[in-house]
Amino acid sequence: MFAFTVARRYLFSNPSQTALLISGVSLGVTAFVFITALIGGLAIRLTNDVTANSAHISLEPETRIARVLPSPDAELESVAIISTFQRLQIRAWKSTVSLLQSHPDISAISPQISGSAFLVKGEAVSPVAVTALDPAFIDAISSISTEIISGDASLGADGILIGSRLAENLGLSSGQPVLLRTDRGIDRLLIVRGVFETGLQSLDERVAYLSIQTARPLFLLPEGITNIEIKLYDPGGARELATFLHEATGLRATSWQEKNASLEGALDAQSQTGTLIQTFSLISVLIGIASALSLSANRRRGEIGIMRAFGVSGAFIAAVFLLQGLLIGMVGAGIGCACGFALCSWLETLTKPDGTMALPIAPGEGGYLVVFLLTTIGAVLASVIPAWSAARLDPLEAIQQ
Amino acid sequence: MRALVEARGIGMTFRNGDELTEVLKGVDLTLQPGELVALLGASGSGKSTLLSIVGLLLRPTRGTLSIAGQRVEGLSDLERAQFRNRRLGFIFQFHHLLPDFTATENVAFPAAAPAGAISPAMRRRARDLLARVGLADRMDFPATRLSGGQKQRVAIARALMNKPELILADEPTGSLDRVAAEKVLDLMREVNREDKATFLICTHDEHVAARCTRRITLNDGSVDGA
Repeated sequence: MFAFTVARRYLFSNPSQTALLISGVSLGVTAFVFITALIGGLAIRLTNDVTANSAHISLEPETRIARVLPSPDAELESVAIISTFQRLQIRAWKSTVSLLQSHPDISAISPQISGSAFLVKGEAVSPVAVTALDPAFIDAISSISTEIISGDASLGADGILIGSRLAENLGLSSGQPVLLRTDRGIDRLLIVRGVFETGLQSLDERVAYLSIQTARPLFLLPEGITNIEIKLYDPGGARELATFLHEATGLRATSWQEKNASLEGALDAQSQTGTLIQTFSLISVLIGIASALSLSANRRRGEIGIMRAFGVSGAFIAAVFLLQGLLIGMVGAGIGCACGFALCSWLETLTKPDGTMALPIAPGEGGYLVVFLLTTIGAVLASVIPAWSAARLDPLEAIQQ
Repeated sequence: MRALVEARGIGMTFRNGDELTEVLKGVDLTLQPGELVALLGASGSGKSTLLSIVGLLLRPTRGTLSIAGQRVEGLSDLERAQFRNRRLGFIFQFHHLLPDFTATENVAFPAAAPAGAISPAMRRRARDLLARVGLADRMDFPATRLSGGQKQRVAIARALMNKPELILADEPTGSLDRVAAEKVLDLMREVNREDKATFLICTHDEHVAARCTRRITLNDGSVDGA
C-alpha cells in the first residue's frame, strides 16, 4: 500500500520529532499501566487480606420471622411463636455439601458449628466465638495449622486451639486445661492443644477452634450444623455464586463482599479515581498526536496540493495521515506497555525493612491489551481531523501558497 | 485534425464577500495536438485562472470545455481527479517534490499512488525519464539534495510519467536562474517535438513565449488571437 510507504517516510523524515511524539505516547501509556497495576495490586492485596482467614461465601439457615397464622375467626389473630432457645441449624447439610462439591468454582468447603461461649481459667473469664470444624479439613478456610506458634493443630476429642492474645489474657499455654462454657449452659474441660497467631486481633483474641464432634453436645446439635463456609478459586465471583447457591439450597448465602460493603465501596472509589487519571492521560496523549499531525499536514500543504493536482484522491491523502496516527499509536503503545511492565516489575521487587512489598503493585494487572487497543484506536481517531483537513485541501490554493 | 482542447465562452467570477470579480469574460481557446503554446498576459489578466480551468483544478462559472473530445465540465470531483491523473501533466513554478522520496520515486508518484505501489515497470519508466532530463546520475538522490534546476527537471519528468496528452505549465522557469531556465525550456521543447505532447505554458516572460510555437495573450479576461 503506497499510502503506508508515504506515511512511514513522513514519520522518518523528522526522526527527532517523531521520537519525541512516540515518547510522549509511551509515557502516557506507561503512566496508564502503572496506575492500573497499582490499583489492581491494591485491590488484590485488600481482597486477600480480608478473605485470607475467612470464607468467600457463608451458607446459613434463613432467619425465622414471627408470622400471623391464618384463622377462620376474623376477630382472632394467632401468631406463630419462635423459640429463641432452639438454634438455627442446617439439618440436611450432607446433601448440601455433596451439591457444593460438584461445583467447579468452589475450592474448599467447611461445614461448621459456630457459637458463643466463655473460656474460664481460674477467675479469668473471656468470651470466645467458637468455630467447630472437621479436624481433617482444619485449614480449608483459614490456614490455622501454619499459624500455630506453640503446640500443634491436632484437636482430638478434647482439644481446643486458641489465639495468642486470648492465651495471654487467660494466662494459658499449650497443654493446659481450660473450661469452656457454651451459650447453652454446658461446661466442658478441654486441653489447649495449640496457640495460633494470625496477626488479626479479632481472630487472635476472640476465636477458638474445636472439633465438630466435640462441639455437638456442647451446642445441643446432635446432627445439624450452623453454617457451611466456602472458599472459591476466584473470590471476585462470590456475589454471583452466592445468589445461585441461595436459589439452589434455600439457605441464606452471604458473600465476602456483602460482609465487607465498606471495603467494596472503597475499592470502587479507588477504581473510579484510577479511571479518571487513565482517561486524562489518554486524552493528553491523543491531543499530542492530533496537534503534531495537524502541524505536519499544514507544513506539507504544497506537497499535498501537488499530489491532489496529479489526481491523487482525497482518500489516499487521508489514509497517509490516518496511517501515521496508527503507527504512532501502535509503536508508542507497544513501547509504553513494555516500559510499564518493566517499571511495575521493578517496583514489585522493592521491599520495606520488614520484608513486605513497598508498593502493592501487580504487574500482571496492567491492562496491557486494553491500553494498547485504546491508544491505537484513539491515535487513529486523533488523526481524523488532520487527515480530513489534508484530504479537503484545495490543490490550487495549496500550490499557490 | 480534432482539437485537443476546445474551450467556449469560459467565464469565471470570484466572490469576495459582497464583491464579485469577473476574471474571465467568455474566453474561447483551441489547442491542437502537439502545439507548444505560451499563455501571456499582465498580472491579474486571468491567465493562471484559465490554466487552472483547463487543468480541471477549477470549475468555470460558465462555458464549455472539451479535452481530447470529452466534455469535462460535468465530471464529478473524483472523475476530474482521475482525468487529471491519466491525461494531464503539471509543471508549477515551485516544484513541490516530496522531500522524503528519491528523484525516481517522485517521478513515479503519479502512477504509483493510484496503483498502490511502485511497480518495476514504473520504476524503469521513471528512471528513463530522469535519464532523458539529464539526471541519470541523480536518480537515487533524495529530492532535498537536488539543486533548484534539477528539482524542476524532476518535476518535468514527473509531469511526463503517465504519458499525458496535455501538459500545463505555470511559470515553469519563474524560480530558476537564466542557465537553468534555458535547460528547462530546451527540455520542454524536446518533449513537445519528440513525444508530440501539447504544452500550454502560462508565463509573463517574453523570452519563454518566444521559444513557443504560438502565443495567446489574455487581456482583461478576454483572449486576443485565440
